[in-house]
Amino acid sequence: MAEYTKPIPEPDPVTQPFWDGAKVGKLMLPRCTDCNRVHWYPRVICPHCHSMNIEWFQASGEGRIHTFAVQQRAFGGWKDETPFVTAYIDLNEGDRMATVLRGVDPEKPEAIEIGAKVRVEFEPATDDVRIPFWRLDNS
Amino acid sequence: MPSDLYKAAAIVGAAESDEIGYMSEPKSNMRLHIEAIHNVSEQTGIPISQIDGVFAPGVASQIAEYLGIHPKYIDTTSVGGCSFEMHLHHALAAIHAGIIDVALVSHGQMGWSVRHTGGRGGGGGRPAADPWSGEAQFYNPYGFSGAPSNYSHAMNRHNYRYGTTPEDFAHIAVGTREWAMLNPRAVMYSAETNPAGGPITVEDVANSRLISWPLTLLHVCLVTDYGGAILITNPDIARSLPTKPVWIAGAGESQGHSNMLEMEDFTATSAAASAATAYKMAGMGSDDMEMAMIYDSFTVTAGITAEMLGLAPRGEGHLLWKDGHANPGGRLPINTNGGGLSFNHSGMYGMQLLVEAYRQLSGTAEDGIHGDPGKQTNAQSCIVNGTGGSLSVTGTVVLIAD
Repeated sequence: MAEYTKPIPEPDPVTQPFWDGAKVGKLMLPRCTDCNRVHWYPRVICPHCHSMNIEWFQASGEGRIHTFAVQQRAFGGWKDETPFVTAYIDLNEGDRMATVLRGVDPEKPEAIEIGAKVRVEFEPATDDVRIPFWRLDNS
Repeated sequence: MPSDLYKAAAIVGAAESDEIGYMSEPKSNMRLHIEAIHNVSEQTGIPISQIDGVFAPGVASQIAEYLGIHPKYIDTTSVGGCSFEMHLHHALAAIHAGIIDVALVSHGQMGWSVRHTGGRGGGGGRPAADPWSGEAQFYNPYGFSGAPSNYSHAMNRHNYRYGTTPEDFAHIAVGTREWAMLNPRAVMYSAETNPAGGPITVEDVANSRLISWPLTLLHVCLVTDYGGAILITNPDIARSLPTKPVWIAGAGESQGHSNMLEMEDFTATSAAASAATAYKMAGMGSDDMEMAMIYDSFTVTAGITAEMLGLAPRGEGHLLWKDGHANPGGRLPINTNGGGLSFNHSGMYGMQLLVEAYRQLSGTAEDGIHGDPGKQTNAQSCIVNGTGGSLSVTGTVVLIAD
């Protein structure tokens, strides 16, 4: 595997189930068992109802573009990929994730549509960490 | 009906470091703080030894030590550019409670010079995200590279939701530049003082270098050096000084999020909430505001904030500039110093807002440099709104002339 030069997240005890899922291609999300709402990023308390009863479940891996921008300038490993398209994704199950969009042309931002369907995929950073990215769903 | 806190304290002086903008030699954050503090002490006649509350983002304790004073109240709230409006809010409460008599709010930041010192002199900022934080694991991996890379997402969403365009927001840069051309201390005052200075057009903004689509360079604030300090006292002291008091009629603060990952509505900020608190305290409303100082880290920040403060309907903030109301000669002057876009932006610009608001409402906005009417308006009230982080946190202050 080519060396991954971009920032590599470090799983911690709270987020480990997410990274375990990512490693085998599953999008795991935290959900409150009292109010049934999903939150992102993972926490030990539900930010909606403040229950501490949180479970993990496998999500659909589908969502829509909430908003996006094209980055002309970046640092570290991302510098080599400029320009690239950052975006916030509304998850089908609720709440929102940040990402870099795959399958879009950063030279033609006018062609990218807010509200367009996207699907998650996971890119290997190390043997243990695969990072979620979202790709335009043309199906 | 105003609350008990209405006019419970006043800003009695506001000063800058001896030099601001692009410096002849690098001055550390601390030197910029100290120059401004010394200058505001001279201006008001209040000895530094009489300061009993010190408010500064991250470094209140270090400043007090450097000055050799032993304050009763130390507030180091550091949440970005709105920290100073929050300090003023906290100082108002502490003065009203009788805990302190003289509050110092101070700023020093070598935002530009620090690039040439390898970071030396520019310490005291916020630490990097903890590796186990949500930010480090679920935001940092995606190549965002500072404020412009975040705020562009808000501009795009505003364009989508309200049918606005980057050109609409470009009018904010153009109108704000008109104010800078009346301020000799503004970095973009004239083409004689800076090759990039002087008048600009909507086309200039659109054709400037792309930074983070849809933001081009002239939608983005400057990066400069600045030291600024204000003194706030109780009414008795305020009335005994040679300087004019500018009264704090209302203040409020609020937060939407810390990281943009948790921004619910990309076209709104907590300024609606912080302004509501400030207006209520003052017993005033948006119609009572005769001018505004609005944090303009980006054109989109100013446009959205104007909407949040009730100065324009949702989706129409930019029209205040496009229609000329916010510009010199308009009915609601906004960012009369030339803004973060064209005057000065050191990184945490909230102090520059307060210094200019004090000068406007005390009739000293001409700084004694020009001698012509320049940027001085006849406004008797001003709403000041700082925005910190990624459209994250806001502090709002309503000020009125004596």
